[in-house]
Amino acid sequence: MKKLAFSFMAVAGLIFTSCDSDDNGGDDLPLEATCDDGIMNGDETGIDCGGSNCGPCETGVENPDSYSFERNGESTVSFTGQTTRLLMGDEILGAFSDVSATVEQIQAMFAHQEGESDFENADLNASDKSISSKTAASADYFSSNAVDQGLIRADFNGWIAAQVEEVFPNWNVAAEAGTAGQIADGESTRYISAQGLEYNQLFNKGLIGALTVDQALNNYLSPAVLDEGSNVANNDSGTTEEDKNYTTMEHKWDEAYGYVYGLNANSADPNADLGADNFLNKYIGRVEGDTDFAGIADEIFQAFKLGRAAIVAMDYEVRDAQAEIIKEKISEVIGIRAIHYLQQGKNALSQETPDFGGAFHDLSEGYGFIYSLQFTRKAGTSEPYFAKSEVDGFLTDLLDDGENGLWNVQEATLDALSNAIADRFEFTVEQAAE
Amino acid sequence: MKKVWFLVLFAALFVACSSDNGGGDNGSDNVDPAPVSFERGAMLENWADNIIIPSYESFTAELSALKAAFETFKTDSNEANLTALRASWLSAYKTWQHVSLFEIGPAETVGLRLNVNIYPVDAEKIDGFVQSGSYDLTLSSNRDAKGFPALDYLINGLGENDTAIVSKFSTTEKDGLISYIDVVLNDMETLITQVISQWKAGYRDTFVNNDGASSTASVDRFVNDFILYYEKYLRAGKMGIPLGVFSGEVLPRNVEAYYKADVSNELFLEGLAGVQNFFNGNHFQKASSGESLASYLEALNTLKGGEDLAELINGQLNAARTRVEALGSFRSEIENNAPPTNMLKAYDEVQRAVPLLKVDMVSAMNISIDFVDADGD
Repeated sequence: MKKLAFSFMAVAGLIFTSCDSDDNGGDDLPLEATCDDGIMNGDETGIDCGGSNCGPCETGVENPDSYSFERNGESTVSFTGQTTRLLMGDEILGAFSDVSATVEQIQAMFAHQEGESDFENADLNASDKSISSKTAASADYFSSNAVDQGLIRADFNGWIAAQVEEVFPNWNVAAEAGTAGQIADGESTRYISAQGLEYNQLFNKGLIGALTVDQALNNYLSPAVLDEGSNVANNDSGTTEEDKNYTTMEHKWDEAYGYVYGLNANSADPNADLGADNFLNKYIGRVEGDTDFAGIADEIFQAFKLGRAAIVAMDYEVRDAQAEIIKEKISEVIGIRAIHYLQQGKNALSQETPDFGGAFHDLSEGYGFIYSLQFTRKAGTSEPYFAKSEVDGFLTDLLDDGENGLWNVQEATLDALSNAIADRFEFTVEQAAE
Repeated sequence: MKKVWFLVLFAALFVACSSDNGGGDNGSDNVDPAPVSFERGAMLENWADNIIIPSYESFTAELSALKAAFETFKTDSNEANLTALRASWLSAYKTWQHVSLFEIGPAETVGLRLNVNIYPVDAEKIDGFVQSGSYDLTLSSNRDAKGFPALDYLINGLGENDTAIVSKFSTTEKDGLISYIDVVLNDMETLITQVISQWKAGYRDTFVNNDGASSTASVDRFVNDFILYYEKYLRAGKMGIPLGVFSGEVLPRNVEAYYKADVSNELFLEGLAGVQNFFNGNHFQKASSGESLASYLEALNTLKGGEDLAELINGQLNAARTRVEALGSFRSEIENNAPPTNMLKAYDEVQRAVPLLKVDMVSAMNISIDFVDADGD
């Protein structure tokens, strides 16, 4: 019996130790759902309601089965501009592997002008939409922050230029520390800078934040946009936009939706083919595939659906509560993937035979997701999980362990970055790493 | 009341933390494993000295013979010499199947497997290289234009029949073709020479002396590599991918040795034999054997459903062999049957060994699987 008690204590000690190492030992307690404390905590889906412990939230708004909404028998859902930009993004990513492309050509794709023949797809050429005009362009974060907006757009243009000027000339050169070129990653071949960076990954994963997350969370789901001008009065009276079947508020919400689900085959039931694009949709699917986070894709979709139904029902409190859920969950996706790739990169480097190609690919994806952290949104605040200056600091740390960037990166650096990111979220490095 | 609160709190902590322990929940019962009289070091020695290094040596000799056959063909490009060259190619390719699974240490450093045998081969790329005479086969992006699959194309796929193929070597293309094949053969020789010399120059001792039981110990690492080989390169690469098991549509172009057309089964069976010989610790091309995964399982007295696990694994591998032996060539099975039912049945039989190795065997040995399917991007 004594022995049993002792081992019980030992086990208890282990548990406490494992919690401490996550740096949130004591902080865990308030996270438990408390259904009468006036704040949304635990897995509650509203204040003191929803989730596994509390009673269901009384909304008065019925959540429909699918994302389909009609007025006078016709759909009111429209987000063609978002679909167009996601398709433009795919073509730009393709251009990163076309060694005949020039800086001017790829930058023109990024800042497309109506009628210019920048793309293979003629519909895209005819469009008046562009990606760059919506990069770092949300109402909440950038309407009066032209300085950062300019710096961020310069980063994207810089990655395009660097791909053409540094990597294309060395396309048929074997990369080594300090020399751009190609490197094997399993059966794939990666094309990296002298620092080990894959610019197409920086561009791709960076755009997940700067375009899709920023536009959805900090622009279209923001009351500043949803309630702008006479949007509320028009929505209350059912006044649609000229020649359109939707109210402006409905359309704004759908535009957020379009940045997340714009390429899914059936937009009414997008989780049936998660991974339909190379941007946010794909990585919601990836996080959903990690058993630690299974269910997150449905949480995001349910919130989009209920929020849209709330607009129809003119219940703006419910609408905003759903927007908060979406902000939190999508921000988590970015944080989880940033850590995931840092840890995958660490694993690849720590083998007896370091897998540099695999590691650089992972770390380049991680770089892009870290970059995207500055566009996340803490629910209930007007702040990202990490400020631009913090993100810039992380990215500097990632590359400054030696003179050759990722070729010199230390495991301790990757762990330190992972821990710093996880500290501000409700998940652990271990959960995100898998 | 206070006590109850403490218990609740404790329970909450337990729940909160348990998910962190996913990989390490065997921590407490791991401290003092049941004493087993099995020496991992002896098994590593047997692997290195009686299986791995002799296989590499045999493969090196096969490559030399292949180069010699090509020299003969070069000086006299006739059909008889082409036939002989092809026989040497097949013989070396079969020996390769006994080497491919040892992708650890020096082989991993040079990326031997994917430098010697990526298929399908990019024939168009080879045509371009032969014509331009300008290529660097050491580049990662050119791995699909060299190794055995490139030779398959160059000695089996350049024409409809042997007369047509031989005639290619008497045209203006001759010099380009000859020097391309030379570069391919030399590249293979350089790689294998590097690998075997590193094994002999020190890696053998590193490998054998790292005889502990942890995720970085030789046994744990190699068992992972071994299972990865079985699952990805033998099961999926040689059968599952061409069968369309993963893509949903058959891909006959992806069979191994596509141009030779009738040897993909043989190559598979060699690979399977390599796997089973390794599992049983059989000395390379000898009747003798030594400590192995099978003898390790026996020492652990591992049973599954009351049956000896090592015997179950051997039984399953035998069943897979019987199924595959009964098939026509993989290419014809896939091209002439829709769906290719018999080959799919054989694939299922091959697959059935995966859980026995990847779940039952590794849990008996307390080895954790560290590979996952790649991201795919």
